[in-house]
Amino acid sequence: MNFFELVAQLAQGLVSTVVVTLVCSGTGMAVGLTVAGLRRMGYARVVPFLDGFTYIFRGVPVLVLLFLVYFGLPSVGIKVGPLLAMALSLGLIAGAYLAEVFRGALDSVEASEILAAEAMGMSRFQILTSIEFPQMLRLAVPGMINEFTSILKYSPFAYTVGIAEITKQAMTLTATTLRGIEIYLAVGVLYFLIYRILLAGVHYLEKRYQVPGLGTT
Amino acid sequence: MALIRIRNLVKQFGNHTVLDGVNLDLQKGEMKVVMGPSGCGKSTLLRCINRLVEPTSGTILVRDQDIMGAEVDVRALRQSIGFVFQQFALYRHLTVLGNVMLGLRKLRGMSRAEAEAQALFQLNHLEMADHRDKYPSQISGGQKQRVAIARALAMDPAVVVFDEPTSALDPVMVREVADLFNRLNREGVTLLCVTHDLALASQIANRVLFLDQGVIRADDTLENLAKHHPNDQVRAFFGEKEGRS
Ligand SMILES: Nc1ncnc2c1ncn2[C@@H]1O[C@H](COP(=O)(O)OP(=O)(O)O)[C@@H](O)[C@H]1O
Ligand SMILES: [Mg+2]
Repeated sequence: MNFFELVAQLAQGLVSTVVVTLVCSGTGMAVGLTVAGLRRMGYARVVPFLDGFTYIFRGVPVLVLLFLVYFGLPSVGIKVGPLLAMALSLGLIAGAYLAEVFRGALDSVEASEILAAEAMGMSRFQILTSIEFPQMLRLAVPGMINEFTSILKYSPFAYTVGIAEITKQAMTLTATTLRGIEIYLAVGVLYFLIYRILLAGVHYLEKRYQVPGLGTT
Repeated sequence: MALIRIRNLVKQFGNHTVLDGVNLDLQKGEMKVVMGPSGCGKSTLLRCINRLVEPTSGTILVRDQDIMGAEVDVRALRQSIGFVFQQFALYRHLTVLGNVMLGLRKLRGMSRAEAEAQALFQLNHLEMADHRDKYPSQISGGQKQRVAIARALAMDPAVVVFDEPTSALDPVMVREVADLFNRLNREGVTLLCVTHDLALASQIANRVLFLDQGVIRADDTLENLAKHHPNDQVRAFFGEKEGRS
């Protein structure tokens, strides 16, 4: 087996790695937007819950939460599939971090524009979705890239709950071929490629929605 | 029947009384100018009218409806009052066209095609249709103001209020702004404008209201205010700046 055949073998785990990364990123985005949005809507009563959520989930190790969800919940009668377990651990943790990224970016949305939208008669929710989120997302790109990258880098934990992603394939392959150095080098190359593609995707979207006078570039 | 009738309007921020019994009437089709030194409460007065600021006491009737009533639909009230801010406050992430369309889409529930047609009509009216695809950062202050006016007019408001329309513009623009206001008013738009720009006031109104120390201290022609008002400070306010215009 030459190096490229090894890579081809490992690539069988690629789909799982990408799926785990996308599912956790999607969960993180949804949770982050919800948390940051609720805080922004100014419902004083939910703020302590949002604070509690970000406080706890930013402090818990991914693996501990993953095991808690996947191995712990069944003991109270809740059976969670591997992918859902990843979403409920890595996804929620990413959501807590993204909520903070979004909170910072929301603070950069011009108060005068929000006031103008209020003066126009828009509801708080309309302002959030039509003015604040569209501007905030453009401002939050660097923070979002950081978070997506760490999701990718945590995705190997998926093998602990039985998802045959790249790292899992590598372990199996190493056990049978004993060519650990080459295999893990190849693993590194694959992660690097996924990372570059992910980055290119985000940058494509960033460019596509770029607005002169707003954002990072 | 006055379009807007303000009686005894009081607004306090903490124990700082900014408005201390303001009375003001605005008739349909009128163009009214309120002047006053910086910090006298001009912006606060305008913001009370659409309840961006909650008045402390007094009454404000808009088309005979008491806007402080518990049953008042604040968002509907705001939709009936076009507000053009000092810095224009265009939405940075939307094009010129997008800025004018937003309210039509979200508040009037128009389809994209309908909203676009209506927005282009207003932009044309304000000679901004050629700039429809530009973003706010790509147009000048005067152009931003025209977009902000188009955005307000697109909602077909009962009145358009202006907060210091010339303060963010080059002084040479005053003539243009005055011409535009006069034209809009001739076309039937009701305008309420607060400013401390005497040059602007002199070109759009014969009479002005003078807001100072929380009350309308005078309601007279600029000439009378500058020459014959009994109070020194009032004469100084209207006289001192006349040289600049
Ligand atoms: N939200 C607020 N909280 C506290 N004080 C305010 C607030 N808004 C305005 N003021 C005060 O009210 C006064 C009038 O302000 P403003 O209406 O902006 O005056 P103008 O528009 O005539 O310059 C000022 O002294 C200002 O500091
Ligand atoms: Mg002001």
